[in-house]
Amino acid sequence: MENLLAFGCLVLTLLLYWLAKKQYRRTGNWWSAPLLAVPLLVIGAVVVGHIPYHTYFQDTHWLSWLLGPATVAFAIPIYEQRQVIRKHALSLSCGVLVAMPVAVLSSVWLARAFGLSELLQKSLAPRSISTPFALATASSIGASPDLTAVFVVITGVAGMLLGEVMLMLLPLRSRLAKGALLGAAAHGAGTAKANELGAEEGVVASLTMMLGGIATVFAAPLIAWFV
Amino acid sequence: MKNLPNIAVKQSLSTLSQVVLLSLVWLLASRLSHYWLPAVPAGVLGMFLVLAALALGWLPLSWCKSGARWLLAEMLLFFIPATVAVVQYPQLLGSIGLRIVLVILLSTVLVMTVTSLVVDAGYKFEILLKRRKRQHGVS
Repeated sequence: MENLLAFGCLVLTLLLYWLAKKQYRRTGNWWSAPLLAVPLLVIGAVVVGHIPYHTYFQDTHWLSWLLGPATVAFAIPIYEQRQVIRKHALSLSCGVLVAMPVAVLSSVWLARAFGLSELLQKSLAPRSISTPFALATASSIGASPDLTAVFVVITGVAGMLLGEVMLMLLPLRSRLAKGALLGAAAHGAGTAKANELGAEEGVVASLTMMLGGIATVFAAPLIAWFV
Repeated sequence: MKNLPNIAVKQSLSTLSQVVLLSLVWLLASRLSHYWLPAVPAGVLGMFLVLAALALGWLPLSWCKSGARWLLAEMLLFFIPATVAVVQYPQLLGSIGLRIVLVILLSTVLVMTVTSLVVDAGYKFEILLKRRKRQHGVS
């Protein structure tokens, strides 16, 4: 019975994901974005159905497993965009080297100022980078990868909503800066938004996201020492 | 007309085999990272292995491109199970949850502002350097 329920959870997750994607492609409303809608619907189903998390995770852990190969897959877009990296090496590395400390330090300091526990401070630290990198960082700094995954999703939604406002408010001249803003602050969600602005913004956003993720993973010992 | 589904099947099969290839690289990388390089997470190590293989010409881009594109395009699906883990933390619902959302919103505004202004400045500097180089070349 439990095995059947676990399998049902996997099917439900796949089905909701597929439906949300289709719906978002048709309507394009921000609240139907799969990033927001799918976790909410699945969590709702698990809560309403009183399904224990270990039952839910029994079969769906195969989906989580694919985050590993997905990290490896980042090699391909990085290789394809090596010319852009070489051309804008200076501004890209400035962006990454500034964005990552600002993201980590401000998350931890604000969490501390708001009186959140040490586990929450640690789990918030890598929230602005792409999920596979964030989870890798979380487990090496003693944070909870589960909580980090949730914070990464909230960050993505926040980035989608705030991105447009900030682009209007800030006096930015270059497409490079607009792409970096979205990629550094809101990982995949920001990159999707940047692709809507233009191809160059999209490439820069995805590069900032990927390089920022790698930089944060390597900075993990530093972050662990700091938090 | 009869060939159309065939092409689609062939493409999915080639994407699938490329996903398997990238998964094998990941498994190899997790072994390597486990035994020799515990400081580097397996995914990042695997990424550098593929990057090196591509740069050295050992791995043709066409052998992994569509698999990589699929893995990256569907990445959202892969981290949904981890987000569902939040049901184990019902204490996040009240004021703590509100404070967390505030932290994330404020920090996101900060990251957006600082990063984009720095990159804009870096871009201007890049143009300046280029102009200077060109002038030196002329004179």
